[in-house]
Amino acid sequence: MTIFDRCLLRQRRDRAARHTGAIPSLFAETNERLAERLEDMARGFPQALDLGCRDGALASALRGRGGIDSLVQCDLSPSMARRAAETGRPTLVADEEALPLAEHTFDLVFSSLALHWVNDLPGSLLQIRRCLRPDGLFLCAMFGGGTLHELRTAWLQAELDVEGGASPRISPFVDIRDAGNLLQRAGFALPVADADTLSVSYPDALTLMRDLRTMGESNALHERRRTPTRRETFLRAAAVYAERFGRADGSVPATFEIVYLTAWAPHPDQQRPLAPGSARGRLADVLDSPEVSAGDAAAPKPRR
Amino acid sequence: MTEEKSGVDPRLLEILVCPLTKEPLEYDAQAQELISRKARLAFPIRDGIPIMLADEARQLDD
Repeated sequence: MTIFDRCLLRQRRDRAARHTGAIPSLFAETNERLAERLEDMARGFPQALDLGCRDGALASALRGRGGIDSLVQCDLSPSMARRAAETGRPTLVADEEALPLAEHTFDLVFSSLALHWVNDLPGSLLQIRRCLRPDGLFLCAMFGGGTLHELRTAWLQAELDVEGGASPRISPFVDIRDAGNLLQRAGFALPVADADTLSVSYPDALTLMRDLRTMGESNALHERRRTPTRRETFLRAAAVYAERFGRADGSVPATFEIVYLTAWAPHPDQQRPLAPGSARGRLADVLDSPEVSAGDAAAPKPRR
Repeated sequence: MTEEKSGVDPRLLEILVCPLTKEPLEYDAQAQELISRKARLAFPIRDGIPIMLADEARQLDD
């Protein structure tokens, strides 16, 4: 199933790579939070991969954390990859939907806000798991379902008001409740998903839209409308946005829900539940308390 | 570590496989290409960056 136009996404990222200077703060913040998770890890991850590296910002955010000897960078966009390669790290261009990486290569794979444009997320996760060594770690941040909900509402209303019909404007994002299942389906062990909600302030909705374009994150939906949007519709969307979500000081909020996923490639030494009935001691003994029967659950039902 | 500015990082050559068949690649240092015989594709290396996209690869026609 094709949801996203990957070719268009590549062009968007190529264009975004030309914007130098300040890293958009959302990416910087997310990279920092991903890197922080490595501080809790007792072990090092010598061989690491940054999948969807954009301009290579994650590498500098790591600042020595994670015990990484070599970080390979990978992006869909050749222009982004060229910028990331300026850091001197090995860099390649690849599609997250068809990874060109040998099995059992990495101790750690990062993906920071890149997998939300993938058509076949279970397929990509499976390929990521395969390129991890046993007991390798997958650390991922992706946009969750609450992301840009204000903009979604504003576009829907504006297109109905001005043009009498709606078209898909904002991507479908992953639901945190599905994320753990997806990881498990891809063969990962010990999956954990949690989410952060960030609210970014913009002077108005048009500035938000321009910012998304600069980041290379504007609409790449396959079913998007192919005709240019009328100026009137843009202005109506901005007006609806301000009416519904505007703050007292005239600014508007934009919600970004960031879902963090942590999962491991399976390894025999990992913790796992024991088989039911395999206990060799009584819980009451461990707790040093008298054993109280919870009732005889196995008793046959009384006949009436 | 010594790295030629134009050459590809040897670490990449060790870990790359064909994105379609997942089989090992042949490195053509002269042409700066990574060749997948089975997929009949030659992936270009530009400025030391392997471009592992099927639609950027050269079709092999022998």
